[in-house]
Amino acid sequence: MTRRILPLFIFFVLMGFLAQSLFDSDSELPSPLIGKSIPQFTLQNLITEEMYSNEEIIGEISLINVWATWCVGCEIEHEFLVELSQDENLDIPIIGLNWKDDDQLAKLWLNQLGDPYSIVLKDPEGKTAIDFGVYGAPETFLIDSNGIIHFKHIGPLDREIFERDILPVLGELN
Amino acid sequence: MIRRATFFLFMMFFTSGISANELDTNDQMRYQSLIQEVRCLVCQNQSVAESNAELAKDLRREIKLQIQDGKSDIEIKTYLLDRYGEFILYEPAFTQKTLFLWFSPIILLLMFYGWFRKIGN
Repeated sequence: MTRRILPLFIFFVLMGFLAQSLFDSDSELPSPLIGKSIPQFTLQNLITEEMYSNEEIIGEISLINVWATWCVGCEIEHEFLVELSQDENLDIPIIGLNWKDDDQLAKLWLNQLGDPYSIVLKDPEGKTAIDFGVYGAPETFLIDSNGIIHFKHIGPLDREIFERDILPVLGELN
Repeated sequence: MIRRATFFLFMMFFTSGISANELDTNDQMRYQSLIQEVRCLVCQNQSVAESNAELAKDLRREIKLQIQDGKSDIEIKTYLLDRYGEFILYEPAFTQKTLFLWFSPIILLLMFYGWFRKIGN
């Protein structure tokens, strides 16, 4: 009896696994950078054109947001980022990484939609984005005051995701 | 046969040589095989050799630069793994985590062999 049932059992277990991956629409990949320091870079400030290194932007718990004007998801999350930057209770700086973008378009975007960023660094070649393991904008990293990455979110950020995924990690850091 | 294979190889370089023409033949071959092993993460079912996504272009450029810098294949793969994780390579590395994955075909084969023999008897 067992001999007959066993293959059927294996079949259903396999089906179960396959079904799970079929309905698991979460295509986010875990980042190997969690727990590591942000990569080294020297990038130009979009607005002032001064050069900044990775050492110079750390020192506070902050968010690093990878965005571009060509990125649809970035437009969706922008309003929330502006809201977040004005939240005085939270008081968390958002560092913008403008990925493979046009300077003029990027500046226009910030003028028109509001500027949530404490600083915007530009990465026209996408080299630093590769170092951050970025594969689709928008992506948002939570870093501590030493520049260690504690969380990464891929895709547009909104209040729900922020409160569910980022706030708890923030709580641990504070 | 050989002529056909040479022609095929030639066409392969010719069609997917994304401005990699400054590499010498040996490096060119390394470049070609590397970019086919690297998954384009935006379009997860293509290699960066096949994809026209911006990120794939950037990764190809980066791989080429590193070859020109004299980096070994392992160094280049480690560079990618450190940033993007296991998933970026089509062939998963042989680690404790992937041990089952690597041996599962053999395990399954043995299981089925045992099972069929039992049924045969």
